[in-house]
Amino acid sequence: MDFILQGFLKAIDLLVTGDAETFSAVYATLVVSAYSIAASLILGLPLGFCLGHFEFKGKRLLRLAVDTGLALPTVFIGLVVYAFLTQRGPLGGLGLLFTLPGIAIGLTILALPIVIALSATAVEGMDRKLRVTLISLGADRRQLFLGIVWEARHGILAAGLTAFGRVLTEVGIAMMVGGNIKWQTRTVTTAIALETNKGEFAAGIALGLVLLIIAFSVTLSVSFLRKRY
Amino acid sequence: MGGLLYEISGLRHIYGNQTVLNIDRLEIPQGVIVGVIGPNGGGKSTLLKLVGFVEKPSTGKIVFKGKPAEPFAPQVRLQVTLMPQEPFLLKRTVFSNVAYGLSIRKDTDKIKERVHEALAWVGLNGNNFAGRPWYALSGGEAQRVSLASRLILKPDVLLLDEPTANVDAMSSQLIKDAALKARQDWATTLIIASHDWQWLHEVADSTLHLFKGRLSGTGRENILFGPWEAMGGGRWCKRLPDGQRLTVPQPPDDTSAALIANAVLRAGIGETTSTALPAMSGIVTRLTLDNSSGDVLVSISAGGLPFTVALEQQQLRQLGIYPGRTVSVCYNPADVTWI
Repeated sequence: MDFILQGFLKAIDLLVTGDAETFSAVYATLVVSAYSIAASLILGLPLGFCLGHFEFKGKRLLRLAVDTGLALPTVFIGLVVYAFLTQRGPLGGLGLLFTLPGIAIGLTILALPIVIALSATAVEGMDRKLRVTLISLGADRRQLFLGIVWEARHGILAAGLTAFGRVLTEVGIAMMVGGNIKWQTRTVTTAIALETNKGEFAAGIALGLVLLIIAFSVTLSVSFLRKRY
Repeated sequence: MGGLLYEISGLRHIYGNQTVLNIDRLEIPQGVIVGVIGPNGGGKSTLLKLVGFVEKPSTGKIVFKGKPAEPFAPQVRLQVTLMPQEPFLLKRTVFSNVAYGLSIRKDTDKIKERVHEALAWVGLNGNNFAGRPWYALSGGEAQRVSLASRLILKPDVLLLDEPTANVDAMSSQLIKDAALKARQDWATTLIIASHDWQWLHEVADSTLHLFKGRLSGTGRENILFGPWEAMGGGRWCKRLPDGQRLTVPQPPDDTSAALIANAVLRAGIGETTSTALPAMSGIVTRLTLDNSSGDVLVSISAGGLPFTVALEQQQLRQLGIYPGRTVSVCYNPADVTWI
Protein backbone atom coordinates (compact mmCIF):
# COMPACT_ATOMS: atom_id res chain seq x y z
CA MET A 1 0.00 0.00 0.00
CA ASP A 2 2.91 2.30 0.74
CA PHE A 3 3.96 2.57 -2.87
CA ILE A 4 0.49 3.81 -3.82
CA LEU A 5 0.59 6.52 -1.15
CA GLN A 6 4.14 7.43 -2.17
CA GLY A 7 2.93 7.53 -5.73
CA PHE A 8 0.26 10.09 -4.86
CA LEU A 9 2.74 12.23 -2.96
CA LYS A 10 5.23 12.13 -5.82
CA ALA A 11 2.44 12.89 -8.25
CA ILE A 12 1.63 16.08 -6.39
CA ASP A 13 5.34 16.94 -6.32
CA LEU A 14 5.71 16.39 -10.09
CA LEU A 15 2.70 18.54 -10.82
CA VAL A 16 3.53 21.32 -8.39
CA THR A 17 7.18 21.57 -9.50
CA GLY A 18 6.13 21.51 -13.16
CA ASP A 19 8.17 18.44 -14.18
CA ALA A 20 9.15 18.99 -17.82
CA GLU A 21 8.78 15.37 -18.93
CA THR A 22 5.31 15.10 -17.39
CA PHE A 23 4.16 18.33 -18.97
CA SER A 24 5.57 17.28 -22.33
CA ALA A 25 3.28 14.23 -22.24
CA VAL A 26 0.36 16.41 -21.13
CA TYR A 27 1.03 18.78 -24.03
CA ALA A 28 1.15 15.91 -26.55
CA THR A 29 -2.11 14.50 -25.17
CA LEU A 30 -3.89 17.84 -25.35
CA VAL A 31 -2.68 18.47 -28.92
CA VAL A 32 -3.73 15.08 -30.32
CA SER A 33 -7.02 15.19 -28.42
CA ALA A 34 -7.85 18.69 -29.65
CA TYR A 35 -6.96 17.87 -33.28
CA SER A 36 -8.88 14.62 -33.33
CA ILE A 37 -11.98 15.96 -31.53
CA ALA A 38 -12.09 19.01 -33.81
CA ALA A 39 -11.75 16.82 -36.92
CA SER A 40 -14.30 14.25 -35.74
CA LEU A 41 -16.84 16.98 -34.87
CA ILE A 42 -16.35 18.83 -38.17
CA LEU A 43 -16.77 15.60 -40.16
CA GLY A 44 -19.07 13.71 -37.83
CA LEU A 45 -21.74 16.29 -37.00
CA PRO A 46 -22.96 16.87 -40.58
CA LEU A 47 -22.78 13.13 -41.28
CA GLY A 48 -24.63 12.34 -38.04
CA PHE A 49 -27.24 14.98 -38.88
CA CYS A 50 -27.81 13.46 -42.34
CA LEU A 51 -27.99 9.96 -40.91
CA GLY A 52 -30.49 11.01 -38.25
CA HIS A 53 -32.57 13.48 -40.24
CA PHE A 54 -32.96 12.12 -43.76
CA GLU A 55 -34.57 8.95 -45.04
CA PHE A 56 -32.64 7.33 -47.87
CA LYS A 57 -31.93 3.97 -49.42
CA GLY A 58 -29.25 2.05 -47.55
CA LYS A 59 -29.68 4.11 -44.37
CA ARG A 60 -30.02 1.04 -42.16
CA LEU A 61 -26.92 -0.52 -43.65
CA LEU A 62 -24.96 2.68 -43.13
CA ARG A 63 -26.22 2.89 -39.55
CA LEU A 64 -25.06 -0.68 -39.00
CA ALA A 65 -21.62 0.19 -40.36
CA VAL A 66 -21.34 3.22 -38.08
CA ASP A 67 -22.46 1.19 -35.07
CA THR A 68 -19.84 -1.42 -35.93
CA GLY A 69 -17.28 1.39 -35.94
CA LEU A 70 -18.11 1.99 -32.28
CA ALA A 71 -16.57 -1.35 -31.42
CA LEU A 72 -13.43 -1.05 -33.55
CA PRO A 73 -10.40 -2.29 -31.54
CA THR A 74 -7.91 0.52 -31.14
CA VAL A 75 -4.94 -1.71 -31.99
CA PHE A 76 -6.63 -2.53 -35.28
CA ILE A 77 -7.07 1.17 -36.06
CA GLY A 78 -3.43 1.70 -35.03
CA LEU A 79 -2.33 -1.09 -37.34
CA VAL A 80 -4.28 0.23 -40.34
CA VAL A 81 -3.12 3.82 -39.81
CA TYR A 82 0.45 2.57 -39.34
CA ALA A 83 0.20 0.60 -42.59
CA PHE A 84 -0.99 3.70 -44.45
CA LEU A 85 1.56 6.08 -42.95
CA THR A 86 4.64 3.88 -43.03
CA GLN A 87 7.25 4.60 -45.74
CA ARG A 88 5.94 1.69 -47.84
CA GLY A 89 2.31 2.71 -47.32
CA PRO A 90 0.16 4.81 -49.69
CA LEU A 91 0.51 7.92 -47.47
CA GLY A 92 4.13 7.29 -46.48
CA GLY A 93 5.34 10.32 -48.41
CA LEU A 94 3.49 12.65 -46.01
CA GLY A 95 5.93 11.82 -43.22
CA LEU A 96 3.20 11.58 -40.60
CA LEU A 97 4.33 8.37 -38.90
CA PHE A 98 5.60 8.95 -35.37
CA THR A 99 4.19 12.49 -35.28
CA LEU A 100 1.38 14.06 -33.28
CA PRO A 101 -0.76 14.69 -36.43
CA GLY A 102 -0.30 10.98 -37.26
CA ILE A 103 -1.70 10.00 -33.86
CA ALA A 104 -4.51 12.54 -34.32
CA ILE A 105 -5.52 10.83 -37.59
CA GLY A 106 -5.84 7.50 -35.82
CA LEU A 107 -7.76 9.05 -32.94
CA THR A 108 -10.10 10.78 -35.40
CA ILE A 109 -10.93 7.40 -36.93
CA LEU A 110 -11.65 6.18 -33.42
CA ALA A 111 -13.86 9.15 -32.47
CA LEU A 112 -15.70 9.59 -35.77
CA PRO A 113 -18.17 6.68 -35.40
CA ILE A 114 -18.95 7.83 -31.85
CA VAL A 115 -19.76 11.37 -32.97
CA ILE A 116 -21.77 10.17 -35.99
CA ALA A 117 -23.76 7.53 -34.12
CA LEU A 118 -24.56 9.59 -31.03
CA SER A 119 -25.39 12.80 -32.91
CA ALA A 120 -27.57 10.80 -35.35
CA THR A 121 -29.40 9.35 -32.35
CA ALA A 122 -29.80 12.85 -30.86
CA VAL A 123 -31.20 14.23 -34.13
CA GLU A 124 -33.41 11.17 -34.67
CA GLY A 125 -34.83 11.66 -31.19
CA MET A 126 -35.95 15.19 -31.99
CA ASP A 127 -39.67 15.68 -32.15
CA ARG A 128 -41.00 15.61 -35.72
CA LYS A 129 -42.87 18.81 -34.95
CA LEU A 130 -39.53 20.64 -34.63
CA ARG A 131 -39.01 20.59 -38.40
CA VAL A 132 -42.55 21.83 -39.03
CA THR A 133 -42.09 24.58 -36.44
CA LEU A 134 -38.77 25.82 -37.82
CA ILE A 135 -39.93 25.83 -41.44
CA SER A 136 -43.24 27.46 -40.59
CA LEU A 137 -41.42 30.23 -38.73
CA GLY A 138 -39.45 30.99 -41.90
CA ALA A 139 -36.22 28.98 -41.59
CA ASP A 140 -34.32 28.30 -44.81
CA ARG A 141 -32.38 25.05 -45.24
CA ARG A 142 -29.28 26.33 -43.45
CA GLN A 143 -31.32 27.76 -40.58
CA LEU A 144 -33.25 24.50 -40.39
CA PHE A 145 -29.97 22.56 -40.01
CA LEU A 146 -28.66 24.98 -37.39
CA GLY A 147 -32.00 25.00 -35.58
CA ILE A 148 -32.15 21.22 -35.34
CA VAL A 149 -28.50 21.01 -34.25
CA TRP A 150 -29.15 23.65 -31.60
CA GLU A 151 -32.23 21.84 -30.32
CA ALA A 152 -30.24 18.60 -30.19
CA ARG A 153 -27.32 20.40 -28.52
CA HIS A 154 -27.40 18.40 -25.30
CA GLY A 155 -27.25 15.09 -27.14
CA ILE A 156 -24.53 16.38 -29.45
CA LEU A 157 -22.54 17.68 -26.50
CA ALA A 158 -22.82 14.23 -24.95
CA ALA A 159 -21.52 12.76 -28.24
CA GLY A 160 -18.51 15.08 -28.16
CA LEU A 161 -17.85 14.33 -24.51
CA THR A 162 -18.02 10.58 -25.03
CA ALA A 163 -15.65 10.83 -28.00
CA PHE A 164 -13.30 13.02 -25.98
CA GLY A 165 -13.22 10.50 -23.16
CA ARG A 166 -12.38 7.72 -25.60
CA VAL A 167 -9.65 9.75 -27.29
CA LEU A 168 -8.12 10.97 -24.04
CA THR A 169 -7.71 7.50 -22.59
CA GLU A 170 -6.57 5.72 -25.76
CA VAL A 171 -3.25 3.83 -25.68
CA GLY A 172 -3.01 1.45 -28.66
CA ILE A 173 -3.14 4.01 -31.48
CA ALA A 174 -0.83 6.45 -29.70
CA MET A 175 1.66 3.66 -29.07
CA MET A 176 1.63 2.18 -32.60
CA VAL A 177 1.34 5.34 -34.70
CA GLY A 178 3.22 7.68 -32.33
CA GLY A 179 5.94 5.29 -31.24
CA ASN A 180 6.01 6.69 -27.67
CA ILE A 181 9.00 8.94 -28.43
CA LYS A 182 10.09 10.94 -25.40
CA TRP A 183 9.59 14.71 -25.76
CA GLN A 184 7.92 14.09 -29.14
CA THR A 185 4.98 11.73 -29.29
CA ARG A 186 4.75 10.42 -25.75
CA THR A 187 1.21 11.00 -24.52
CA VAL A 188 -0.04 10.68 -20.96
CA THR A 189 -1.46 7.20 -21.54
CA THR A 190 1.65 5.81 -23.28
CA ALA A 191 3.80 7.37 -20.57
CA ILE A 192 1.70 5.67 -17.87
CA ALA A 193 2.12 2.31 -19.64
CA LEU A 194 5.90 2.86 -19.90
CA GLU A 195 6.39 4.08 -16.34
CA THR A 196 4.35 1.19 -14.94
CA ASN A 197 6.47 -1.28 -16.93
CA LYS A 198 9.57 0.35 -15.46
CA GLY A 199 8.15 0.06 -11.94
CA GLU A 200 7.87 3.86 -11.63
CA PHE A 201 4.45 3.87 -10.04
CA ALA A 202 4.72 7.43 -8.75
CA ALA A 203 5.21 8.85 -12.24
CA GLY A 204 2.38 6.62 -13.51
CA ILE A 205 0.01 7.81 -10.79
CA ALA A 206 1.02 11.43 -11.37
CA LEU A 207 0.16 11.11 -15.04
CA GLY A 208 -3.06 9.32 -14.15
CA LEU A 209 -3.98 12.25 -11.89
CA VAL A 210 -3.34 14.63 -14.77
CA LEU A 211 -5.70 12.62 -16.96
CA LEU A 212 -8.33 12.80 -14.24
CA ILE A 213 -7.88 16.56 -13.89
CA ILE A 214 -8.23 17.06 -17.66
CA ALA A 215 -11.33 14.84 -17.80
CA PHE A 216 -12.84 16.60 -14.79
CA SER A 217 -12.16 20.06 -16.24
CA VAL A 218 -13.77 19.18 -19.57
CA THR A 219 -16.79 17.58 -17.91
CA LEU A 220 -17.20 20.59 -15.62
CA SER A 221 -17.05 22.96 -18.59
CA VAL A 222 -19.61 20.91 -20.50
CA SER A 223 -21.85 20.79 -17.45
CA PHE A 224 -21.59 24.58 -17.14
CA LEU A 225 -22.42 25.01 -20.83
CA ARG A 226 -25.45 22.71 -20.50
CA LYS A 227 -26.75 24.78 -17.61
CA ARG A 228 -26.05 28.07 -19.34
CA TYR A 229 -27.68 27.08 -22.65
CA MET B 1 -60.82 40.55 -50.31
CA GLY B 2 -58.11 40.65 -52.96
CA GLY B 3 -57.26 38.36 -55.87
CA LEU B 4 -56.49 34.68 -55.68
CA LEU B 5 -53.97 33.70 -53.04
CA TYR B 6 -53.88 29.96 -53.68
CA GLU B 7 -54.69 28.09 -56.86
CA ILE B 8 -54.43 24.37 -56.21
CA SER B 9 -54.76 21.80 -58.96
CA GLY B 10 -54.37 18.03 -59.11
CA LEU B 11 -53.11 17.87 -55.54
CA ARG B 12 -52.38 14.34 -54.29
CA HIS B 13 -50.44 13.40 -51.21
CA ILE B 14 -49.44 9.89 -50.32
CA TYR B 15 -48.02 8.48 -47.08
CA GLY B 16 -46.63 4.98 -47.66
CA ASN B 17 -49.14 3.52 -50.09
CA GLN B 18 -52.14 5.43 -48.77
CA THR B 19 -53.52 8.52 -50.48
CA VAL B 20 -54.32 10.94 -47.67
CA LEU B 21 -55.26 13.95 -49.77
CA ASN B 22 -56.81 14.18 -53.21
CA ILE B 23 -58.01 17.60 -54.33
CA ASP B 24 -58.66 18.25 -58.00
CA ARG B 25 -59.11 21.99 -57.74
CA LEU B 26 -59.29 24.57 -54.98
CA GLU B 27 -58.96 28.34 -55.04
CA ILE B 28 -58.59 30.56 -52.00
CA PRO B 29 -58.82 34.34 -52.33
CA GLN B 30 -56.68 36.77 -50.35
CA GLY B 31 -57.87 38.16 -47.04
CA VAL B 32 -60.53 35.53 -46.28
CA ILE B 33 -61.03 33.21 -43.35
CA VAL B 34 -61.47 29.64 -44.58
CA GLY B 35 -62.65 26.98 -42.17
CA VAL B 36 -61.65 23.37 -42.79
CA ILE B 37 -63.99 20.84 -41.22
CA GLY B 38 -63.81 17.07 -41.21
CA PRO B 39 -63.30 13.98 -39.09
CA ASN B 40 -59.92 12.79 -37.82
CA GLY B 41 -57.86 11.37 -40.65
CA GLY B 42 -59.86 13.38 -43.19
CA GLY B 43 -56.76 15.17 -44.47
CA LYS B 44 -57.09 18.55 -42.71
CA SER B 45 -53.60 18.60 -41.20
CA THR B 46 -52.07 17.35 -44.45
CA LEU B 47 -53.81 20.10 -46.42
CA LEU B 48 -52.49 22.72 -43.99
CA LYS B 49 -48.95 21.33 -44.20
CA LEU B 50 -49.08 21.46 -48.00
CA VAL B 51 -50.52 24.98 -48.28
CA GLY B 52 -48.15 25.99 -45.46
CA PHE B 53 -45.28 24.76 -47.69
CA VAL B 54 -43.94 22.58 -44.91
CA GLU B 55 -44.22 19.48 -47.09
CA LYS B 56 -44.10 19.01 -50.82
CA PRO B 57 -47.15 17.30 -52.35
CA SER B 58 -46.62 13.89 -53.95
CA THR B 59 -48.14 15.30 -57.14
CA GLY B 60 -49.99 18.45 -58.14
CA LYS B 61 -49.36 22.14 -58.17
CA ILE B 62 -49.86 24.92 -55.65
CA VAL B 63 -49.76 28.40 -57.12
CA PHE B 64 -49.26 31.12 -54.51
CA LYS B 65 -49.93 34.72 -55.53
CA GLY B 66 -49.74 33.73 -59.16
CA LYS B 67 -46.48 31.79 -58.99
CA PRO B 68 -45.92 28.06 -58.46
CA ALA B 69 -44.36 27.59 -55.03
CA GLU B 70 -42.84 24.84 -52.93
CA PRO B 71 -41.18 24.50 -49.51
CA PHE B 72 -38.31 26.96 -48.88
CA ALA B 73 -39.29 29.10 -51.89
CA PRO B 74 -38.44 32.72 -51.00
CA GLN B 75 -41.93 34.06 -51.86
CA VAL B 76 -43.65 31.77 -49.34
CA ARG B 77 -41.05 31.13 -46.64
CA LEU B 78 -41.44 34.49 -44.96
CA GLN B 79 -45.14 35.03 -45.66
CA VAL B 80 -46.91 31.82 -44.72
CA THR B 81 -46.84 30.36 -41.22
CA LEU B 82 -48.50 27.29 -39.75
CA MET B 83 -49.31 26.61 -36.12
CA PRO B 84 -49.46 22.84 -35.60
CA GLN B 85 -52.16 21.17 -33.54
CA GLU B 86 -49.99 20.28 -30.57
CA PRO B 87 -47.98 23.15 -29.18
CA PHE B 88 -44.29 22.75 -29.86
CA LEU B 89 -41.78 25.16 -28.44
CA LEU B 90 -38.06 25.35 -29.08
CA LYS B 91 -35.93 24.44 -26.05
CA ARG B 92 -35.36 28.06 -25.18
CA THR B 93 -37.03 30.78 -23.18
CA VAL B 94 -40.44 32.14 -24.11
CA PHE B 95 -38.71 35.32 -25.32
CA SER B 96 -36.40 33.37 -27.65
CA ASN B 97 -39.32 31.33 -28.96
CA VAL B 98 -41.37 34.39 -29.82
CA ALA B 99 -38.34 36.24 -31.22
CA TYR B 100 -37.05 33.30 -33.31
CA GLY B 101 -38.93 34.17 -36.51
CA LEU B 102 -37.81 37.79 -36.40
CA SER B 103 -34.21 36.90 -35.55
CA ILE B 104 -33.84 34.62 -38.58
CA ARG B 105 -35.26 37.45 -40.67
CA LYS B 106 -32.64 39.71 -39.08
CA ASP B 107 -35.49 42.02 -38.11
CA THR B 108 -34.53 42.68 -34.51
CA ASP B 109 -35.30 46.38 -34.16
CA LYS B 110 -37.08 47.02 -30.80
CA ILE B 111 -37.41 43.27 -30.44
CA LYS B 112 -38.08 43.31 -26.71
CA GLU B 113 -41.07 45.62 -27.09
CA ARG B 114 -42.38 43.59 -30.01
CA VAL B 115 -42.08 40.29 -28.15
CA HIS B 116 -43.91 41.73 -25.14
CA GLU B 117 -46.59 43.14 -27.44
CA ALA B 118 -47.07 39.77 -29.18
CA LEU B 119 -47.36 38.05 -25.80
CA ALA B 120 -49.97 40.60 -24.77
CA TRP B 121 -52.03 39.77 -27.89
CA VAL B 122 -52.43 36.24 -26.58
CA GLY B 123 -53.13 37.37 -23.02
CA LEU B 124 -49.67 36.74 -21.53
CA ASN B 125 -47.77 39.29 -19.50
CA GLY B 126 -44.30 39.68 -21.00
CA ASN B 127 -42.72 40.60 -17.68
CA ASN B 128 -43.94 37.34 -16.15
CA PHE B 129 -43.50 35.02 -19.11
CA ALA B 130 -40.67 36.23 -21.37
CA GLY B 131 -37.90 34.80 -19.18
CA ARG B 132 -39.55 31.45 -18.54
CA PRO B 133 -38.04 28.31 -20.06
CA TRP B 134 -40.12 26.26 -22.48
CA TYR B 135 -40.89 23.57 -19.93
CA ALA B 136 -42.38 25.91 -17.35
CA LEU B 137 -45.66 26.48 -19.22
CA SER B 138 -49.06 24.83 -19.14
CA GLY B 139 -50.50 23.36 -22.36
CA GLY B 140 -52.69 26.42 -22.92
CA GLU B 141 -49.83 28.84 -22.26
CA ALA B 142 -47.54 26.92 -24.62
CA GLN B 143 -50.20 27.08 -27.34
CA ARG B 144 -50.55 30.82 -26.82
CA VAL B 145 -46.75 31.33 -26.94
CA SER B 146 -46.76 29.28 -30.14
CA LEU B 147 -49.40 31.60 -31.60
CA ALA B 148 -47.57 34.73 -30.39
CA SER B 149 -44.41 33.56 -32.20
CA ARG B 150 -46.47 33.51 -35.43
CA LEU B 151 -48.45 36.70 -34.86
CA ILE B 152 -45.26 38.71 -34.27
CA LEU B 153 -44.36 37.99 -37.91
CA LYS B 154 -47.57 39.71 -39.09
CA PRO B 155 -47.87 37.01 -41.77
CA ASP B 156 -49.80 37.19 -45.02
CA VAL B 157 -51.18 33.72 -44.33
CA LEU B 158 -51.79 32.16 -40.92
CA LEU B 159 -52.70 28.48 -40.88
CA LEU B 160 -54.10 27.13 -37.63
CA ASP B 161 -54.45 23.40 -37.11
CA GLU B 162 -56.97 22.71 -34.35
CA PRO B 163 -55.87 25.78 -32.40
CA THR B 164 -58.28 25.20 -29.53
CA ALA B 165 -58.36 21.39 -29.36
CA ASN B 166 -56.19 20.88 -26.29
CA VAL B 167 -56.72 24.04 -24.26
CA ASP B 168 -59.14 25.28 -21.63
CA ALA B 169 -62.01 27.67 -22.34
CA MET B 170 -60.07 30.81 -21.42
CA SER B 171 -57.05 29.95 -23.59
CA SER B 172 -59.41 28.94 -26.37
CA GLN B 173 -61.11 32.35 -26.34
CA LEU B 174 -57.78 34.21 -26.22
CA ILE B 175 -56.48 32.18 -29.18
CA LYS B 176 -59.65 32.87 -31.16
CA ASP B 177 -59.49 36.61 -30.45
CA ALA B 178 -55.78 36.82 -31.30
CA ALA B 179 -56.24 34.95 -34.58
CA LEU B 180 -59.06 37.24 -35.63
CA LYS B 181 -56.91 40.25 -34.77
CA ALA B 182 -54.48 39.16 -37.48
CA ARG B 183 -57.15 39.47 -40.13
CA GLN B 184 -58.48 42.75 -38.75
CA ASP B 185 -55.13 44.50 -38.34
CA TRP B 186 -52.99 43.08 -41.14
CA ALA B 187 -55.53 41.58 -43.60
CA THR B 188 -54.00 38.17 -42.92
CA THR B 189 -55.63 35.27 -44.72
CA LEU B 190 -56.60 32.62 -42.19
CA ILE B 191 -57.11 28.94 -42.90
CA ILE B 192 -58.34 27.19 -39.78
CA ALA B 193 -58.88 23.47 -39.31
CA SER B 194 -61.02 22.80 -36.28
CA HIS B 195 -63.51 20.45 -34.71
CA ASP B 196 -65.16 23.54 -33.26
CA TRP B 197 -67.36 23.93 -36.29
CA GLN B 198 -69.77 26.30 -34.55
CA TRP B 199 -66.92 28.76 -34.04
CA LEU B 200 -65.69 28.18 -37.59
CA HIS B 201 -69.12 28.96 -39.00
CA GLU B 202 -69.26 32.08 -36.87
CA VAL B 203 -65.94 33.46 -38.11
CA ALA B 204 -65.22 31.86 -41.48
CA ASP B 205 -66.12 33.44 -44.80
CA SER B 206 -66.34 29.97 -46.28
CA THR B 207 -65.88 26.41 -45.08
CA LEU B 208 -64.51 23.30 -46.72
CA HIS B 209 -65.38 19.79 -45.69
CA LEU B 210 -62.59 17.25 -46.04
CA PHE B 211 -63.56 13.62 -45.85
CA LYS B 212 -61.20 10.76 -46.68
CA GLY B 213 -58.86 13.30 -48.21
CA ARG B 214 -61.43 14.70 -50.61
CA LEU B 215 -63.40 17.92 -50.59
CA SER B 216 -66.96 16.93 -49.72
CA GLY B 217 -69.06 20.08 -49.67
CA THR B 218 -69.05 23.15 -47.51
CA GLY B 219 -69.29 21.64 -44.05
CA ARG B 220 -73.02 22.34 -43.72
CA GLU B 221 -73.91 18.86 -44.98
CA ASN B 222 -74.58 15.94 -42.69
CA ILE B 223 -72.27 12.98 -43.02
CA LEU B 224 -73.50 9.73 -41.53
CA PHE B 225 -71.51 6.57 -41.06
CA GLY B 226 -72.71 2.94 -41.15
CA PRO B 227 -73.25 0.15 -40.35
CA TRP B 228 -76.03 -0.02 -42.93
CA GLU B 229 -78.75 -2.68 -42.81
CA ALA B 230 -80.71 -4.00 -45.81
CA MET B 231 -84.47 -3.39 -45.44
CA GLY B 232 -85.55 -5.04 -48.69
CA GLY B 233 -86.83 -3.38 -51.84
CA GLY B 234 -83.47 -1.80 -52.52
CA ARG B 235 -83.76 0.24 -49.34
CA TRP B 236 -81.20 0.31 -46.59
CA CYS B 237 -81.15 1.93 -43.20
CA LYS B 238 -79.08 2.88 -40.20
CA ARG B 239 -80.66 1.91 -36.90
CA LEU B 240 -80.30 4.62 -34.28
CA PRO B 241 -79.88 3.80 -30.57
CA ASP B 242 -83.40 5.06 -29.75
CA GLY B 243 -85.01 2.74 -32.33
CA GLN B 244 -85.48 5.29 -35.12
CA ARG B 245 -84.33 4.31 -38.59
CA LEU B 246 -82.52 6.47 -41.10
CA THR B 247 -83.46 5.27 -44.59
CA VAL B 248 -80.93 5.47 -47.40
CA PRO B 249 -80.42 3.97 -50.88
CA GLN B 250 -78.09 0.99 -51.25
CA PRO B 251 -74.54 1.96 -50.16
CA PRO B 252 -71.68 1.09 -52.52
CA ASP B 253 -69.84 -0.71 -49.71
CA ASP B 254 -69.79 -1.18 -45.95
CA THR B 255 -67.35 1.67 -45.34
CA SER B 256 -69.28 4.27 -47.34
CA ALA B 257 -70.63 7.32 -45.57
CA ALA B 258 -73.90 9.02 -46.54
CA LEU B 259 -73.80 12.71 -47.32
CA ILE B 260 -77.11 14.51 -46.87
CA ALA B 261 -77.07 18.06 -48.18
CA ASN B 262 -78.66 20.61 -45.88
CA ALA B 263 -80.82 22.03 -48.66
CA VAL B 264 -82.94 18.89 -48.43
CA LEU B 265 -83.25 19.18 -44.70
CA ARG B 266 -84.19 22.81 -44.59
CA ALA B 267 -87.87 22.44 -45.49
CA GLY B 268 -88.55 19.55 -43.18
CA ILE B 269 -87.91 21.06 -39.82
CA GLY B 270 -90.80 21.47 -37.40
CA GLU B 271 -92.69 19.46 -34.85
CA THR B 272 -94.73 17.77 -37.53
CA THR B 273 -94.35 17.47 -41.25
CA SER B 274 -96.92 16.97 -43.94
CA THR B 275 -94.39 15.72 -46.52
CA ALA B 276 -94.00 12.05 -47.36
CA LEU B 277 -90.28 12.30 -46.67
CA PRO B 278 -88.75 10.23 -43.87
CA ALA B 279 -88.59 12.18 -40.64
CA MET B 280 -86.28 11.89 -37.66
CA SER B 281 -87.35 13.21 -34.32
CA GLY B 282 -84.73 15.16 -32.42
CA ILE B 283 -84.02 18.00 -30.02
CA VAL B 284 -82.50 21.34 -30.96
CA THR B 285 -79.20 21.65 -29.08
CA ARG B 286 -77.66 24.83 -30.44
CA LEU B 287 -78.16 27.74 -32.83
CA THR B 288 -75.13 29.15 -34.65
CA LEU B 289 -74.95 32.16 -36.95
CA ASP B 290 -73.22 31.28 -40.22
CA ASN B 291 -70.98 34.25 -40.95
CA SER B 292 -70.72 33.62 -44.69
CA SER B 293 -74.45 33.27 -45.52
CA GLY B 294 -76.20 34.97 -42.62
CA ASP B 295 -78.22 31.78 -42.08
CA VAL B 296 -78.66 30.17 -38.72
CA LEU B 297 -77.29 26.65 -38.36
CA VAL B 298 -79.57 24.58 -36.19
CA SER B 299 -77.86 21.70 -34.40
CA ILE B 300 -80.18 18.82 -33.65
CA SER B 301 -79.55 15.62 -31.75
CA ALA B 302 -81.70 12.88 -33.30
CA GLY B 303 -81.37 9.43 -31.82
CA GLY B 304 -77.93 10.36 -30.50
CA LEU B 305 -76.70 11.51 -33.92
CA PRO B 306 -75.83 15.14 -34.57
CA PHE B 307 -77.62 16.80 -37.51
CA THR B 308 -77.27 20.31 -38.85
CA VAL B 309 -79.93 22.23 -40.73
CA ALA B 310 -79.43 25.71 -42.15
CA LEU B 311 -82.39 28.08 -41.85
CA GLU B 312 -82.85 31.65 -42.90
CA GLN B 313 -83.40 33.89 -39.90
CA GLN B 314 -87.00 34.58 -40.95
CA GLN B 315 -87.73 30.84 -41.17
CA LEU B 316 -86.23 30.40 -37.74
CA ARG B 317 -88.59 32.98 -36.26
CA GLN B 318 -91.60 31.52 -38.09
CA LEU B 319 -90.91 28.00 -36.88
CA GLY B 320 -90.12 29.19 -33.36
CA ILE B 321 -86.93 27.20 -33.09
CA TYR B 322 -85.03 27.39 -29.85
CA PRO B 323 -82.60 25.05 -28.03
CA GLY B 324 -84.47 22.29 -26.23
CA ARG B 325 -87.41 22.19 -28.64
CA THR B 326 -88.37 18.85 -30.17
CA VAL B 327 -88.37 18.97 -33.98
CA SER B 328 -88.44 16.63 -36.98
CA VAL B 329 -85.62 16.48 -39.47
CA CYS B 330 -86.69 15.49 -42.97
CA TYR B 331 -84.61 14.51 -45.96
CA ASN B 332 -85.12 12.96 -49.33
CA PRO B 333 -83.37 9.54 -49.55
CA ALA B 334 -83.00 10.07 -53.29
CA ASP B 335 -80.73 13.03 -52.57
CA VAL B 336 -78.36 11.03 -50.42
CA THR B 337 -74.93 10.79 -52.01
CA TRP B 338 -72.21 8.36 -50.99
CA ILE B 339 -68.65 9.33 -50.23
